[in-house]
Amino acid sequence: MLKIRIIPCLDVIKNKVVKGVNFKNIKVMGNAVEMARYYSLSGADELCMLDINASYQNRKTFIKTVEAIAKVINIPLTVGGGVSGLDDITDLLNAGADKVSINSAAVKNPKLIRQASLKHGSQCIVVAIDGKRYENKMKVVVKGGREITKKELIVWAKQVQSLGAGEILMTSMDTDGVQNGFDSSMLKKVTSNVSIPVIASGGVGNLEHFYLGHLTKSTGLLAASVFHSGKYKIMSVKKYLKNKGVPVRL
Amino acid sequence: MKKQVIGLIDGQSGNIGSINKAIKEIIKGRSYQLKIIRGEFDYSLYNKIILPGQGAYATLISNLKKLKIYNPLKTYLENNFSYLGICVGMQILSDMGHEEKTTRGLGIIAGEIKKFKSKNLIIPHMGWNSIRLNKEDQIIKKNLDNKDFYFVHSYIFQNIKKSNVLANTHYGKKFPSIIKKGNIYGVQFHPEKSHKYGLNLIKNYILKS
Repeated sequence: MLKIRIIPCLDVIKNKVVKGVNFKNIKVMGNAVEMARYYSLSGADELCMLDINASYQNRKTFIKTVEAIAKVINIPLTVGGGVSGLDDITDLLNAGADKVSINSAAVKNPKLIRQASLKHGSQCIVVAIDGKRYENKMKVVVKGGREITKKELIVWAKQVQSLGAGEILMTSMDTDGVQNGFDSSMLKKVTSNVSIPVIASGGVGNLEHFYLGHLTKSTGLLAASVFHSGKYKIMSVKKYLKNKGVPVRL
Repeated sequence: MKKQVIGLIDGQSGNIGSINKAIKEIIKGRSYQLKIIRGEFDYSLYNKIILPGQGAYATLISNLKKLKIYNPLKTYLENNFSYLGICVGMQILSDMGHEEKTTRGLGIIAGEIKKFKSKNLIIPHMGWNSIRLNKEDQIIKKNLDNKDFYFVHSYIFQNIKKSNVLANTHYGKKFPSIIKKGNIYGVQFHPEKSHKYGLNLIKNYILKS
């Protein structure tokens, strides 16, 4: 039976894992390579890392960090942040990423999804979608939720699937960073409208939230703070889910 | 003692970094040598060949032909020399692949590659799933039965002889996840991404088969 995937997410600047939603008050949580190694050893089913400040200068160090991480883990690695075109995708795959996640570049230029999946195969193209409610509609947003696009969330989710995305990384900007749980209604809406895997992101604060995330039919559950802060170990989340009857890899 | 030579084929179908790293770790300090195959090669120089593949069946076949790997590989396999195909590297052992268009495969293990067909199934089959052992083998012992491995694929090996199936996995329906004919092996999952059990399988293939 297919198991639910528990995916720690590393927000990275150069080679450090950071926490800080806006670019002020950035707090360093640890060394990215060390944390990646730790998560791979302690039961993570996949690892996600995002370059949250992809400036030209930072990018070189970030790519080196991807290379270093790929060398110390033996679980799948998804890398995103600052991906603007086909060359960026090739660079990250060459650095050792198994999947590359595209966000605002895909919103700007949807054809990129088709081109990338034809070139590298759908299985390694993840489209990250940030959603937010606006005037009673679920919309696609960019720039960390500050810019609301014209795209309707569900229309966009279906479109990225037909363009060849292998997976959707769905973050609700209404619940992200608040630790009150995943956005169940938004996630259910997405999973019931696409047939590719959906990773739920944004809002995990306690163990029950993981279970509720599973009920949305998302096949991957992504979390950052609860793991980085040491509040939960990956295995304790999995044991909790197992007791609830959710298939997990122990 | 002469070193055993392991060939790792780079068919430009996904990156070979993880499998390269896994093989190096296993053969460190042992009497083995790893060579990357990127073009025409003399198959008689290799004791084992590993081919990892991602993406489309037709793309891998056409890459192998373009790189002039196809013909020596086919001869190698027809002589029943030791091989481990991963994911699409396993699928191309079949007679035919029906992905986008129909493509002729290497024709080493009878069967065809077809899409998962089942309503309400999330495709690709992506994530960790368990294998059920049909019979024990040098590469897959009882301790790996019912363990989880990492899968990512939308197509499966069908119409295969039961005697060629070492293990099955269930997703919507039962499908072959480890196959074998003579000295030729194929695994549908990615052992190089499957943590310790995956490494265990690669190690068994290299050292014990």
